[in-house]
Amino acid sequence: MAEISFPLPDLGEGLIEATVLDWLVEPGQQVERNQPIVELETTKSALELPSPQAGKVVRIHGAPGDTINVGEPLIVFEVPDDTAGIVGTVPKDEAPKRRVRLSAVLDED
Amino acid sequence: MTTEPALAAVDDDAAPLTHHQLRELYTLMAAVRHLDTSAVAWQRQGIIPGYAPELGQEAAQVGSGYAVDRTRDFVFPTYREMGVARAMGVDMVGYMSTHKATWHGGMYNPLESRFAPIQAVVAGSVLHAVGWAHGQTLSGAPDMGVAMTYFGDGASSQGDVHEAMNFAAVMNAPVIFFIQNNGWAISVPTDRQVAGGSVAARAAGYGIPSLQIDGNDVVAVYEATRSAFAHCRAGNGPVVIEAMTYRRGPHSTADDPGRYRTLEEERLDAGGDPLERFKQRLLAEGVADEAFFAAAQRAAEEEEEAIRAGIADLGPRPGSEMFSLVFQEPTPALQSQATAWREESEHV
Amino acid sequence: MSETTTTVRSIGDSTDTGASDVQQMSMQQALNRALDEVLAENPKTVIFGEDCGRLGGVFRITDGLQAKHGEERVFDTPLAESGILGMSVGLAMAGFHPIPEVQFDGFAYPAINQIVCQIARMNYRSRGTLPMPITLRVPSFGGIRAPEHHGESLEALFAHVPGLKVVSPSNPHDAYHLLKYAATRPDPVIFMEPKSRYWQKGPVDVAHAAHGQATHDAGVDDGGSLTGARVVRDGRHLTLVAWGAMVSRCLQVAELAAEDGIDVEVLDLRWLKPIDAEALARSVGKTRRAVVVHEAPLTSGLGAEVAQLITQSCFETLKAPVERITGFDVPYPSGDLEDEYIPNIDRILFGIQRVLEYRRG
Repeated sequence: MAEISFPLPDLGEGLIEATVLDWLVEPGQQVERNQPIVELETTKSALELPSPQAGKVVRIHGAPGDTINVGEPLIVFEVPDDTAGIVGTVPKDEAPKRRVRLSAVLDED
Repeated sequence: MTTEPALAAVDDDAAPLTHHQLRELYTLMAAVRHLDTSAVAWQRQGIIPGYAPELGQEAAQVGSGYAVDRTRDFVFPTYREMGVARAMGVDMVGYMSTHKATWHGGMYNPLESRFAPIQAVVAGSVLHAVGWAHGQTLSGAPDMGVAMTYFGDGASSQGDVHEAMNFAAVMNAPVIFFIQNNGWAISVPTDRQVAGGSVAARAAGYGIPSLQIDGNDVVAVYEATRSAFAHCRAGNGPVVIEAMTYRRGPHSTADDPGRYRTLEEERLDAGGDPLERFKQRLLAEGVADEAFFAAAQRAAEEEEEAIRAGIADLGPRPGSEMFSLVFQEPTPALQSQATAWREESEHV
Repeated sequence: MSETTTTVRSIGDSTDTGASDVQQMSMQQALNRALDEVLAENPKTVIFGEDCGRLGGVFRITDGLQAKHGEERVFDTPLAESGILGMSVGLAMAGFHPIPEVQFDGFAYPAINQIVCQIARMNYRSRGTLPMPITLRVPSFGGIRAPEHHGESLEALFAHVPGLKVVSPSNPHDAYHLLKYAATRPDPVIFMEPKSRYWQKGPVDVAHAAHGQATHDAGVDDGGSLTGARVVRDGRHLTLVAWGAMVSRCLQVAELAAEDGIDVEVLDLRWLKPIDAEALARSVGKTRRAVVVHEAPLTSGLGAEVAQLITQSCFETLKAPVERITGFDVPYPSGDLEDEYIPNIDRILFGIQRVLEYRRG
């Protein structure tokens, strides 16, 4: 597993910080791309920030009321480092199971 | 000098959709939206190994599927037509079973459903629709069935699509080519896929009338499709419909659109949410109220729960079906392989 | 039974005296690195296919290559396999070395016309004046619970076509070297990547079998060259012949057989055309028993070709007819039935048992 950290993006028009109003996700939660993850307030407006990607939330930064600067960590996702590609699943290497035993009298020639 | 072929005006006296029908369309779209987003969640929960979402294409799919006459028409889907299937009343556990990896093609009965098996090859079934449609011409029934084949902007690059349109026009086959141009073929945008920017524009070269429509307006989609059915049924040959829509989700549950488009681009390019747009229209026209929308959402959730339960209960098919369904008349060699399999495998 | 020392041959315990540079990487990484190096070394190399560019391929084999080498050398095509392969022919005629990708094995079917009628024949048709240095990468075989047409085994189809060569690596080291080798050949090579093995890591000696010396070099530690098969486990009693993802399964079977006192050799065929008949003769000449394992259906599969080659060279000393443990003559099934289809450990053990207990007369 690898972690991807997302910093607070520039929310536009030269704003340099935002205040966390409420987190809409929590660590351990699976979120989808575009799902609202946090309510933020800037000097201009309050807004919901959509998730930049699908993944499991590892950490969130800032409690309600805290101010975060643009570019500072906001949320960290866990992503598998061996994704299957576009379809299918990554097969697991499992210990081999058997029912069949070999019983052979070999000619030693 | 060529002129743009026009759709025969055979649908002029078609009545506008009743309030009941409009509400029914919304109920279907709500059911499809909820089932689609739920299926993504099922994949995250390990209920199904994968899924190809159709988020954003509800209007294009429900509006067109709603126009099908299930007593005589036949639909040829790809792998992303869940909304069409639902609008046509296909058994949704049977449909979703393909994503459970139970059986390629799904477990529903295609003949009874008038909905061909789910097709993994893009453009794979476009020519089938032409063949089926020509079969209607050959059988000469007075109440002619019409074939509708679905494909996307990506599939339109396949040579089979050219062959299908050309055949259909030459044979005057009653077939609707329904293109959902959703802007993306996995990571490749339409402007890197479709030369000239429009699949519908190609129809002129075959002398086929075409309609490029707002695929996020369910009523526009329905009316265009209904007109196309009337045109085909009256013996005027094929029609091309290009519904302009947007794939709001990933290509599949394993896809990561962040590798090829930003959230900002998605927001700008996707346009209005077809479900929300339709809701606002129904509210504005006094066709439905908030109580109706709440009831539609409840119904969608109940339906999804039943389908999820059906999918979760769906055990693997007996392995013997691998062998018994290859041929109508199995070969001795295959039967002996089935025997060996029975004896040597820990089979399901 | 006499005492033996079982040797599983692995990369890293090399007997080669040259410098080695062993790194752990997955087959996906190994293939990506090989392509990166081929692009750097040969300016005429171009890579293209569906989603190969910005996305880096659906399995990420071309990840980062477009950003590094530019959009002219690594590019997305429209979604049309016949177009991709047909265009490869023209690019080859124009002096390029195309490395097209067919996104999944089953999507090679729409391109069969161009592969069989054009790519495979142009050298012949042009009396050698228009060689086709095309390396067609095909993520292949099953095992990942994928949708229909995403788990096919087309090696017999390709191998049957005059004018095509076919290779399939089973591990990251071979993937790296075989791809670099194939991508510098003057003839078309179908490069079948076992997609169920993309993510398992293994040692890759990137210094070994250096580019340009591959043809005659001892490509790997057992003395096999990059053009031949490779013994991946020594044994005395029976040879398991496999390729692609079935090699690791056969190695598991060999370990289990050892518990029962049976010493199994595993031969990774690697090249499916041309098949290394000498390696088959060497191995089975020693063990005198052979089982060939493949995922593809039984009838007219490559197992029949392997069995014939063994019979040809080892008929006098064979203890038993060559067994074939394969997929069945059925369309590749959906994920729920995948494990019923792919040769499993027990079916291979049953095959070994039949060979072991066979008595002439």
